[in-house]
Amino acid sequence: MIDLTAELHRYSGFDSFRPGQREVLENLFAGRDTLAILPTGGGKTLLYQLYGAITHQRVIIVSPLISLMQDQVSRLQYLGSKRVVAITSAMDFQERAAILRNLNHYQYIYVSPEMLSNRNIFEMIARQSIGLFVIDEAHCISEWGPDFRPDYLRLGKIRHQLENPLTLMMTATATQRTRDDILNRMGFTATDVKQLVLPTNRSNIFLSAKICANQPEKNEQLETLVKELNGAGIIYFSSKKQTEQIAAMLSQKTDKRVMAYHGGMDNQRRFLIQQQFMNGDIDIVCATSAFGMGIDKENVRYVIHYHLPDNIQSYVQEIGRCGRDQQPSLAILLYEPNDQYLQQNLIANTIPEEQLLRYFYQHPDQLQNNDAFRVIKYYYDIGKTVDQTLAIFDQAKSRRIGELNALIQYIYTTGCRRKLLLQHFDETAEHVDPEFCCDFHTDFWGNWRQFNQQYLKPSETDQGVQSTDWRQIIDKLFLLKN
Amino acid sequence: MDLSTLYLIFGDANQDRRAKAIKNILDGRRTVSNLYWGLEYGLLPYFGALHDFDLGDEQAAVDTLNKAGLATVSDGLLYRLSSRGVDQQKKLQASITPLNELATVAQYDIVRFSRRFIFAVQVVSEYSYSNNRYYPQTIGFFDDQLIKRWFIQNKQRNLSGYFHQLLQQFLSGLENDQLADIFAASLTGHGFSGLTEDQLAVQTDLEPTIIQLNWLKLYSRLFLRLKKDPETPLQLLLTGLIKPLMSGSAKQTFDLFVSARQPDPATIAQLRKIKLTTVYEHLIEAAIELPLDQFPYQRLLHEPTLTNLRQAAPVNVGEWQFKAAKAQITDLQFFEFRLFQISERKKGDND
Ligand SMILES: [Zn+2]
Repeated sequence: MIDLTAELHRYSGFDSFRPGQREVLENLFAGRDTLAILPTGGGKTLLYQLYGAITHQRVIIVSPLISLMQDQVSRLQYLGSKRVVAITSAMDFQERAAILRNLNHYQYIYVSPEMLSNRNIFEMIARQSIGLFVIDEAHCISEWGPDFRPDYLRLGKIRHQLENPLTLMMTATATQRTRDDILNRMGFTATDVKQLVLPTNRSNIFLSAKICANQPEKNEQLETLVKELNGAGIIYFSSKKQTEQIAAMLSQKTDKRVMAYHGGMDNQRRFLIQQQFMNGDIDIVCATSAFGMGIDKENVRYVIHYHLPDNIQSYVQEIGRCGRDQQPSLAILLYEPNDQYLQQNLIANTIPEEQLLRYFYQHPDQLQNNDAFRVIKYYYDIGKTVDQTLAIFDQAKSRRIGELNALIQYIYTTGCRRKLLLQHFDETAEHVDPEFCCDFHTDFWGNWRQFNQQYLKPSETDQGVQSTDWRQIIDKLFLLKN
Repeated sequence: MDLSTLYLIFGDANQDRRAKAIKNILDGRRTVSNLYWGLEYGLLPYFGALHDFDLGDEQAAVDTLNKAGLATVSDGLLYRLSSRGVDQQKKLQASITPLNELATVAQYDIVRFSRRFIFAVQVVSEYSYSNNRYYPQTIGFFDDQLIKRWFIQNKQRNLSGYFHQLLQQFLSGLENDQLADIFAASLTGHGFSGLTEDQLAVQTDLEPTIIQLNWLKLYSRLFLRLKKDPETPLQLLLTGLIKPLMSGSAKQTFDLFVSARQPDPATIAQLRKIKLTTVYEHLIEAAIELPLDQFPYQRLLHEPTLTNLRQAAPVNVGEWQFKAAKAQITDLQFFEFRLFQISERKKGDND
């Protein structure tokens, strides 16, 4: 029997596992395919890193987003594994060719589902011996699968073609329905797979929402909060442009150090902003949901949503980025009635319209090599009629509208927010402290300043302001021996 | 980068300049027309210098200048700096003086060099603190590998001492603390994360674009300094950065053209299986890029066309339109006309 705690210490320096980690590893070492729902981030990467380190086997990780993959590669390198590579569509042909030629040098290979659907790439990967097949953000199989990520739907088949390697499916949140869906689409039955579900509840995060009359009022509210709230914060947006606009506004009107972050920025800049945020050089990041998945900052004190997240699952994941140090933290959702329409538009924009669909069914040749319409091509290729595909899209649309409504319900609820959130995941909170739960039990919005003083710890400022003097900077950068 | 700022820097008070062409020149879009305007505006040394940057929309940039009274704009996005524009231009140029150092960025891939250098600083900085738990930068697959190899080969060589001394000498040698601070802020490493151009802009009261141009200038200087030092442990970081003067295809055409057999353009088209017009385009590209005496104009510009051209040419040959020239010299070919303009322009520069 392997002494997992000793191995953990040997490879990561940690003395103890976070909840759920040991159980997942024990299952994998017993050769059982596993579905793990682990709400706090950071701990997931360690699982397959440790499995790879102990067994010296190759690990393939399917991951949904390019920006996320790059974060994960960095994170794995941070944790001490150097033979890591990501195969993404952002690479040019030569880079990809060089990596594929040398694939056997890498122990950890990240790949997007789209890349894995590419014949050539699949064959190169299939040629490797695979110790563990990981599907990260596995909820995408369900949440995105039928809507617009057709390549996720192929993962079950791909796993089979890879001769059914030991598989670990992971996500931070998933409803019962989503879990069933993941297994079903991967070609498992419930009895094949060991499921490990950790509670979604994060009792150290206080939940609140505020309905504003209009956007100016929302901006004012945001400004007031940001001026006074202690510690580091993340503000989430659904539009790249607005991350920049609001970051500029907040920099100007408050004395906080605020930066924008989104997937449209180049690597260098995203790296720098993450780095500054982790080092405490900036207080607040205005970001799209791409921010925060790969970084591990323990002392984020609050998360504010300026726009609605995609659904309750996303919301729970995003607020989970505060309070990883288990200290009291705060989640605020700011809402004004127009936000609902913004979200509806976003949904409408991601689902092809009937006219377009009929056009492509009449001109299927135009579907070739057009990434934007992969989803139509997928249904066309598997022989769905235009009406069937239309029905699938309609269903997807109404499901997403339903999810949006559930969020709106969360905002307008007159009961306990925590109870409502947890219901969504078929959970009940074991013990609710009415003093520190949500804005239903206490007059949070009348007393938020006091809440801030009482619960939110200011960041330690001993790091001080970064020096701007070049002499000090180079002295700081290079520690000189003797 | 802010295109209107670039338009100010690279604009002129005595010449209408094509906004589109200037953007294409800085971006390095290698067409005969862009190269020609690069020559005409004296901007050829900067061809492709800003290829790695998002330059934005030319219409919006020109409108900005127009609204601010810094330039007048005419049809076809031609702009000319006003006297206020010239004042502003002088101010901007003073903050990146000397401007011509940016020419290095057109000859070498300085952006790539800076990324390698910054990454190397991070690796060495963390290593000097014996820290191997940090988030490394990613600068593309090949360069990630390059840095890795470089570090393994050199890590026994007291790199932190080397970097400290190098930067100490380089930055004090600038004799300008603000510039030195700007450079240092581009670095990142143990306990220091550096600043973005807009953060620095707030601190220094300079425009973000000026910060970026200064970075390019300083990294160019550092690059040339290291290139001269055969002892530097950074040799590997300097490799593979030369930007070719001509496109590969144009160079092949030109090499054939001046080879021992001296084939004519039609023969070259046959040999290379390309169109005759393409051969002419390649030769024009070569004429633009090469010094006057290295291109055999006389093999393409014959009499009496040459004399006719000389007689018909207006004072400002650069702005002469082919249509107007053709009206006077009926059998004139476009490539003859263009080559004549190029050679006249180069003679003018040599005088
Ligand atoms: Zn509650």
